[in-house]
Amino acid sequence: MTTLAVENIVAGYEKGLPIVRGVSFAVAAGEIVTLLGPNGAGKSTLAKAVAGLVPEREGDILLDGARVTVPAHALVRAGIAFVPQTENVFARMTIRENLEIGAAVLPRPRRAGRIAALLETFPALATRPTLPAGRLSGGQRQMLAIARALIPEPRVRLLDEPSAGLSPALVSGVFSDIAAIAAKGVAVVLVEQNVAAALGIAHRALVLVEGRVAHDGPAAPLRDGKLLARLFLGHVEGAEAA
Amino acid sequence: MTGTLSYLAFFLTEVLVNFIAVLGLNVQWGFAGLFNVGVAGFVGIGAYVSALLTVPPWHGAPGPGHVGGLGLPVLVGWAGAVLASAASAAVVGVATLRLRADYLAIGTFGIAVALHELAANAQGLTGGPFGIAFIPHLLAAVPPGGLARGLLDLAITALAAGAAWLVIDRITAGPFGRALRALAQDEAAAASLGCDPRRLRIQAMALGAAAMGLAGAVQASLIGYIAPGNFVPILTFQVWAMLVVGGVGSHRGALFGAFAIWGLWSAAGSLFAAILPPSMATGGASLRIVAIGVTIAISLLWRPRGLSPPGRIVSRFLR
Amino acid sequence: MNPQFLADGILTGALLGLGGVGLTLAYSILRFANFVHGDFLTVGAYAALVVAGALSQFLGGSGIGPFSFGWPLIIALPVAMAATGALALLLDWLLFRRLRRRGEEIVLVMASFGASLAVRSLIEFAFTPEPKYYSHDLQIAMPLGFSVRATPDQLAVVVLAGVAGIALHILLTRTAMGRAMRAVAENPALARVAGIDPARVVRATWWLGGGLAALAGVFLGLTVQIRPYMGFDLLLPLFAGVILGGVGSVPGALAGGMIVGVAEALAVPFIGAAWRGGVAFLLLLAVLLVRPQGLFGMER
Repeated sequence: MTTLAVENIVAGYEKGLPIVRGVSFAVAAGEIVTLLGPNGAGKSTLAKAVAGLVPEREGDILLDGARVTVPAHALVRAGIAFVPQTENVFARMTIRENLEIGAAVLPRPRRAGRIAALLETFPALATRPTLPAGRLSGGQRQMLAIARALIPEPRVRLLDEPSAGLSPALVSGVFSDIAAIAAKGVAVVLVEQNVAAALGIAHRALVLVEGRVAHDGPAAPLRDGKLLARLFLGHVEGAEAA
Repeated sequence: MTGTLSYLAFFLTEVLVNFIAVLGLNVQWGFAGLFNVGVAGFVGIGAYVSALLTVPPWHGAPGPGHVGGLGLPVLVGWAGAVLASAASAAVVGVATLRLRADYLAIGTFGIAVALHELAANAQGLTGGPFGIAFIPHLLAAVPPGGLARGLLDLAITALAAGAAWLVIDRITAGPFGRALRALAQDEAAAASLGCDPRRLRIQAMALGAAAMGLAGAVQASLIGYIAPGNFVPILTFQVWAMLVVGGVGSHRGALFGAFAIWGLWSAAGSLFAAILPPSMATGGASLRIVAIGVTIAISLLWRPRGLSPPGRIVSRFLR
Repeated sequence: MNPQFLADGILTGALLGLGGVGLTLAYSILRFANFVHGDFLTVGAYAALVVAGALSQFLGGSGIGPFSFGWPLIIALPVAMAATGALALLLDWLLFRRLRRRGEEIVLVMASFGASLAVRSLIEFAFTPEPKYYSHDLQIAMPLGFSVRATPDQLAVVVLAGVAGIALHILLTRTAMGRAMRAVAENPALARVAGIDPARVVRATWWLGGGLAALAGVFLGLTVQIRPYMGFDLLLPLFAGVILGGVGSVPGALAGGMIVGVAEALAVPFIGAAWRGGVAFLLLLAVLLVRPQGLFGMER
């Protein structure tokens, strides 16, 4: 059952200079799709375009088959949550306030319950809820960002490099959290540089090269690295030929 | 006939004095992207410094305890005005230019307010509210009043404006201007090419303020009298309106803008004087300011690059 | 040191703090130095003057208890706050909103400088430059001890300014809209991702900033006088207080305003009352050189 469908997205920051050049893919409920590709392939821009944060965008986003037309700030309510790569918590506000902002899109009676539930899921955040988020470590920040975005129970999660800047030990923790989120029926789109870790939890992988889809298939065959290297290198050779 | 010619000469003289200040603002905003809300302050520094340097020691303002002037030659006074304005702009630049752009706006606003206060209150130095009178004319031999003096004033101002235009055009068309444009386009790229952004901006601030100081000095010497009320925010705003209407980044546009806005200002003054009863004269003055405010707002919304965009200069570097 | 100067400084400081709060919110959320803010104080003061004048026809003009003001001004106060907030929204709709879309912050500053001049001149046209007063009753200053005297109006203004400051702090920390405003101030892109509608926050900011400016303007009119330049003349001390306290910090704006007010007042016996702007300017320069992020601010 397809939850999120992306059709023919062309996106960029300036008119006439598209970075993503016609990409389509679909994500089912409970599925983790990872977006891989060499630097500059357009992975982050694609995720941001789906989240409505890129000024120039053409193509369609469909949620459960219906076209999504709302502005970026209303996507959370519609069920699509995006977690940026950096600066993804409000550093000058406390942990609890960050979570309260996440809960503000919910009807009032549900807010306290969802915050309590997330604090239970991430006990590390519950120890000092009045600590300013700016004083958290990198891993805890990432956790808080993920928790905040989870509060409204989105059906689609877009994660932009959640492992950026984390130590290897923390990466495995964050990635097992992501796997657990998907297991509850959330469609996850995971943009990653850390190919091994991403393929470890992903069901399917999309390889982007120069803004286009170079490969779309199950994640498992990519894990030994040879196919992936060929796809990445193919891009380099292609660039030289051009 | 003589009256009309006299008025025309006076009108053009005022246009050219303003044009000198607009040239300075064009360096700061048009080339370097620096927002100066204290134009009146820098023009005022020029006027007061030149006055203090040139007024004869035995004259000076009627204020009690006035220290009097130094009685130096007029051109020395103008040079002092240029230097003093440039130096004060550099001080504000040093304090604010490493911060966000609007801190410069607040800083220049602050210096204009503080200087106005100084002019209005430091009686011993500035004559306080009485101002400074008997500021020598460049050609003291020609008696004031009459068409000859008016045409002479126009010629002097045209020479000063022409000199300012030439110098500023030379500087902004050369490597300094190119560096400023590069900086305004992409600070990181310009810095990587060896431009020191902060230093360049302080220099642009100082160069622009130098022109404003010259405008103040020329005006002071032509009129012979200055008072704090000449250097209030409306002056800043007129100069801004001239730049924006004329076309940001273009020196020729600055001349056109000075002509258009000063014309609008004078015409609005005559119009309100004609249609409003004398009892509402202050009201007319207020409405005139509103008219200028609305003009600038509309030009910002409608033509943010002005009526005469600097096509020539942009194309030279972009093509 | 004459403690009377200190008391006067606290009164000015309370007004500067109240006016500065709206300025600092607009600065951090709308991201530009709004030069109309000083004139919002003036608009609020004149709006209250008009409304209170009309109401006193029906309610009578006498003051309540020891105060110079009565029910007309008390009713006029919220009306003036709403009117000033509405004017702020109107200016945003006509001018700032369109320029904001173009994304050049400094053009916004320029537009606000122009709007400030136009608003001030319109007020001058409508009300003449002559000073006005809410009441012509003379108030007797009461001795408060330590040879300090203050009128009941002045005491009321200081107390009410403190109450307004506390109410604002609660609004910003305990309500969803307050948190949304702080979120947009800190990181507008993330706020959008988190589901906050930027247009709503902008509207709330103008209402709040305009309303608080009007409050400060009425208090200023009550304790000094009502003039077309009353707010514009405070703009430099307002900016100095906001930057001193740290842009975006509400406690900072209150504290910064208080410091500027007291510093101005303490300077009076040495250099005279005419130099208040110069004191504010020197304080501003000192802060920018030594600690540009302000007392309560963060690096930005």
